[in-house]
Amino acid sequence: MKKFLLLFVSLMLAFTVAACNGTDDPDDGDLGDVERLVIYQNKVEIDAELSAYAEAWGNANNVIVEVRTCGGDACAYADNLQTEFLRAREPDIFVIEGLGQYLDFAEKIYDMTGADWIDDTDVPLVAPNGEIVGFPVNFEGWGMAFNRDILDEAGIDPDTLTSREGYAAAFATLEDMKDELGLDTVVSFTTQADMTWVTGLHNFNGYLSSGLDYNDDSVITDLLAGVAHRDRLEALADWVELLNMYTEESLLISGTYEEQVNSFKTGRAAFVHQGNWIDPQLIEDGGIDFEVGYAPHASGLGEVDSIFVAPPSYYVVNVDSTPERRDLAVQFLNDMALTEAGHKYMVEDANYVPAFNSVELLPTSPLSAEVTRWAQDGNIYAWWQNDMPTGFGMGEIGPIYSLFANGTIDKEQFIDALEEEIETLAD
Amino acid sequence: MQADASVKQAPKQSFKDRFFGRKTMNKVWFFLFLIPVMVPYLLMVIIPFVLGAYYSFTDWRGGIGDTNWIGLANYRDLLSNYRFIYSFIRTGIYAFFNVVVINFVAFSLALLVTRKLKLTNIYRAGFFMPNLIGGLIIGFLWRYIFNYVLGTVGFGIFSASPLDNNLAMMSLVIVVTWQYAGYIMMIYVAALQNIPEDLVEASQIDGANALQRLRNIVLPLVAPAFTVSMFLTLVTAFKQFDTVFSLTSAGPVVILPDYLRDFLNVEASLPRVRLTGLLAYNIYDVGFTNRNFAFAQAQAVTFFVLLAVLSLGQVYFNKKREVEM
Repeated sequence: MKKFLLLFVSLMLAFTVAACNGTDDPDDGDLGDVERLVIYQNKVEIDAELSAYAEAWGNANNVIVEVRTCGGDACAYADNLQTEFLRAREPDIFVIEGLGQYLDFAEKIYDMTGADWIDDTDVPLVAPNGEIVGFPVNFEGWGMAFNRDILDEAGIDPDTLTSREGYAAAFATLEDMKDELGLDTVVSFTTQADMTWVTGLHNFNGYLSSGLDYNDDSVITDLLAGVAHRDRLEALADWVELLNMYTEESLLISGTYEEQVNSFKTGRAAFVHQGNWIDPQLIEDGGIDFEVGYAPHASGLGEVDSIFVAPPSYYVVNVDSTPERRDLAVQFLNDMALTEAGHKYMVEDANYVPAFNSVELLPTSPLSAEVTRWAQDGNIYAWWQNDMPTGFGMGEIGPIYSLFANGTIDKEQFIDALEEEIETLAD
Repeated sequence: MQADASVKQAPKQSFKDRFFGRKTMNKVWFFLFLIPVMVPYLLMVIIPFVLGAYYSFTDWRGGIGDTNWIGLANYRDLLSNYRFIYSFIRTGIYAFFNVVVINFVAFSLALLVTRKLKLTNIYRAGFFMPNLIGGLIIGFLWRYIFNYVLGTVGFGIFSASPLDNNLAMMSLVIVVTWQYAGYIMMIYVAALQNIPEDLVEASQIDGANALQRLRNIVLPLVAPAFTVSMFLTLVTAFKQFDTVFSLTSAGPVVILPDYLRDFLNVEASLPRVRLTGLLAYNIYDVGFTNRNFAFAQAQAVTFFVLLAVLSLGQVYFNKKREVEM
């Protein structure tokens, strides 16, 4: 009996230790000569498509490609990426969102300078030291998305929406015709605590890039050095004031993402302050029965003529992978950018606006098609918001918008607060 | 063969007697049986705890880059960090209301369901049920109720959702009470049922009315249950995270009150804090949103120490009130 107990206890112990031993690495035992590539990515909505593409690519190249996905509301990508690096099998390809995040993970990122895909794009992620490190996943863009049917009905020409005066006139007309047009709110915009990615990043990007050349990084460079441009902040504040004024109060203060998108989708809002990533919601459940378009954010000095378009995220290669895996990873990215199968995946399967010049296919979903049109016309402003330090836009800037929206502070204080917050970045 | 056998037999007896007396064997067995729980406990509680405390003295970045020892710098920063201090104060306020309201509601419910009512078991199950739903889900459910249902049904007292103004904290207390009171109620029910009938009867014969009975018989006898319940509610209030996350997202954002601003000498002209940003949420925010892991660790360690002191102190004082039967 005692021997049995001893055996039992040792077994339990063995199990415990074994369980803690991190055997989630079955691939280190060789599967013949087949190499395995792990991609850790952040878009739930394209998980199936990317997995299918990766499998086909793997079959052609004798590689097993595993796609791990973490994203959406249920999985905070950056938090989990951190823990992926503590696993026995780190991902070979992962996603970062720009220079701000590059600095968080710089020690893990491989220099891809010289890779074939680089010649085919204008927007690779370039590290401060000049290394080319990020493969642009796609283009995304936002401006003021509008319901063309409603604007037509109210007799508003979208081409007049190039300045705050133009917007003020259009908003006022729509406000007067609200009942007639069946609108709950003219603009669908929200400053709720969860939505600081829209206020603190997207809206605030107007301050950083509106009216500037695509490669003009003067304002973001100054921001990182703690220098604020008061005139640009005043322009931004005028614009935000306009948005706040013409957004229905409860939506503005406590609206969620779903509510914001839905009010536009169901025709209860004429404008929505969102990018082309809301296309899946617009398409699902029968889709929308009206035409959409984009107009520029009037957040710059003077007239504006462009919407904000850039890669929202970049594939980067893990520097700690074996050289063979790193080469495979670069090969995988080259093929995605340069082969027909890759183009088909990006445009038709993933419904992306591609960031590579050799792609000739065009996306079909409503706002993505609009973004493509603006991009092809060259009417685009840059994204600099992801170059701000992690947590700055969402944690510091966004809440100032909330205070302005709910009336705790006035416009002057809003400008002061932004200026002061920027100045804290001086070190 | 025979010689061999005898050689084998003899030492076996003496060997065991000499080295493994009954007492020693008992101890050996005792530790052997402890190992299966001690090893995971060590791996999953003790080691992470010690590591976490160690990281709070460094500039650790979550396993990326080099880690340097920076001594007490993180803790010094804590003392001047108005967000941490504000969140600490808000947590204290929340914990106070949470403990009072939950225990009051739970004890009242317990008194109710220990009376001889029809359907008592159904009531008990009903009150307990919300506790079976996860805190995240409850937060989302109630967020919907506060944001839409209250507005639509037309309770005119709410011009805006209570989650977006000073009522946010009370909303949180209501939701957590709804979730947790049933659980605490069960503890009180068990305690109430253990009160000997004869004591109650005796008091009745002596002419005590219901209130006197409650004060002099029931309350002293359920004091141990109060100790447990108040400990549980206090600790969970301090650790509240999931419901905050889903119900209010720590919002709304407000400006630091003037008295604190003066007290802490805050220089920023518009110091922003979150009205329901309780400690656990604040730690998460500093760690994962701002990726300031070591500083978050320092907050967590401070949090642990304060909570340990508070809850042990509370148990000590509650214990004093308990009576022996």
